[in-house]
Amino acid sequence: MSCGIVELLEEKVVLLDGGMGSSLIALGLEAGGCTELWNVEFPERVRAVHESYLKAGSDVVQTNTFGANSLALARHGAGDRLGELNRAAARIAREAVDSAGHGLVAGNIGPSGLFRPPVGTASPDEWRSTFVDQARALAEEGVDYFSLETFSDLEEARVAITAIRTFSELPISACLTFDRKKRGFFTLMGDTPAKAFETLVAEGACAVGANCSVGSGDMLAAMTELREAASVPLVVKPNAGLPRIADGRAVYAQAADEFAAEVAATVSLGAGAVGGCCGTDRDFIAALRSELDDMPPR
Amino acid sequence: MDERNLHERQSQAILDGEAELAVELARQAVEMGANLGDCVDHGFAKGIREVGRLWEEGEYFLPELVQGADAMKAAMAILRPEFLKDGIEDRQGSRVLLGTAAGDIHDIGKTLVATILEANGFEVVDLGKDVSNEAFVTAVAELTPAVLGMSALLTTTMPRHGEVIELLRERNLREDVKIVVGGAPLTHRFAEEIGADAYAANAMDALGAVRKLIGVKA
Repeated sequence: MSCGIVELLEEKVVLLDGGMGSSLIALGLEAGGCTELWNVEFPERVRAVHESYLKAGSDVVQTNTFGANSLALARHGAGDRLGELNRAAARIAREAVDSAGHGLVAGNIGPSGLFRPPVGTASPDEWRSTFVDQARALAEEGVDYFSLETFSDLEEARVAITAIRTFSELPISACLTFDRKKRGFFTLMGDTPAKAFETLVAEGACAVGANCSVGSGDMLAAMTELREAASVPLVVKPNAGLPRIADGRAVYAQAADEFAAEVAATVSLGAGAVGGCCGTDRDFIAALRSELDDMPPR
Repeated sequence: MDERNLHERQSQAILDGEAELAVELARQAVEMGANLGDCVDHGFAKGIREVGRLWEEGEYFLPELVQGADAMKAAMAILRPEFLKDGIEDRQGSRVLLGTAAGDIHDIGKTLVATILEANGFEVVDLGKDVSNEAFVTAVAELTPAVLGMSALLTTTMPRHGEVIELLRERNLREDVKIVVGGAPLTHRFAEEIGADAYAANAMDALGAVRKLIGVKA
């Protein structure tokens, strides 16, 4: 690997990819289906999503493994297929990058879906064990770095990083999901971006940020707080805004170009890597590519 | 201890999420022959309403909310048998069925709704996330809830709500259940268009909507 994520982040604003789940639904994934099973059932469709993002200008594609930890897979009766599904996903992403001739592969890791007390009964050991298994499977197949996303509990994200660090020195990017409250932005558990980012960087995250939960407008509003909290490159991946109903159908109030303009504004305010979360597709990423290309170099 | 003092301590126990203390204060109320309805209205329930308000304000977060709700449930578990003994109906029979739409794994909002409803005395059956249309309809037929609450965080999954309502109509079950829908992308107008009975913007709103639909006072 000539240039990893750390070097790329120093060099330029990195364009990540957009939503995977909604793109797979557009390709026929049944509502309620297990997204990660498609890595073995319909690998060509997963690969097509990666390729569409690379073509739209993404510098990074994320493996289709957001819910591929054994605790989340167990809810689809696939808890014993962790290794197979993660390895297949890493292979598919690598093939897409190789055929496009550019791009990095990020091994995507999402939360277990199980909370620790008092909210739930999960233990740090339970988390650690499944994150080690998942990250190891991804690393064995060859990802360029790990991307933790959508964690709503700082402690679970911290455990995931320490789990990876028991066997791998690959770079780790860590994004939490924050809600906009009257007093500012907080995780569901009540942690501020300042506390969260400090903890994640101390554990060795090379980039930290916010994804999901809010649209680009709210994310833009959070930028000052996020930027001040991050001592390493800041990742910003909002959802595709809030939709409205027209003729009985859900349509995004926010078009791809408006999303792109707002996300580009977060770059002006200091975001170092940007992309889209739920509801964004290749059109959003292509629009964002064109905004980034029009920006003066930093 | 006079009853007003007791109510204050009961409310505070919920606010502090102290389940053991809440249980002790519920027992104390029973033993001293206090008016248990007042203990709920001016004591425990006052506390859980305040927890809900602090959550809305962004002063309390999920751990505080859950601890408050757990303390509330623990206190109600002591008081409920006493109410039944006295022939006072509690909210049994006010069963609420909840779930997140098929294809949608965002269930935190829905879980909050379940927590708030349970803390306020409703019997909640939580079907979880990623619930198929058929599973919703089957559960309505089998569990005969008074209210069905459906959640979605994605524009791609919110149409499932309308499909479930349509299925309920086809099976002649629609008239048997009131329907509340909620979730970030939803609106009043969407709820109306798909034929739901109410829209709830958040967990406290959902509590109000459920109460209104089945005619229970706060």
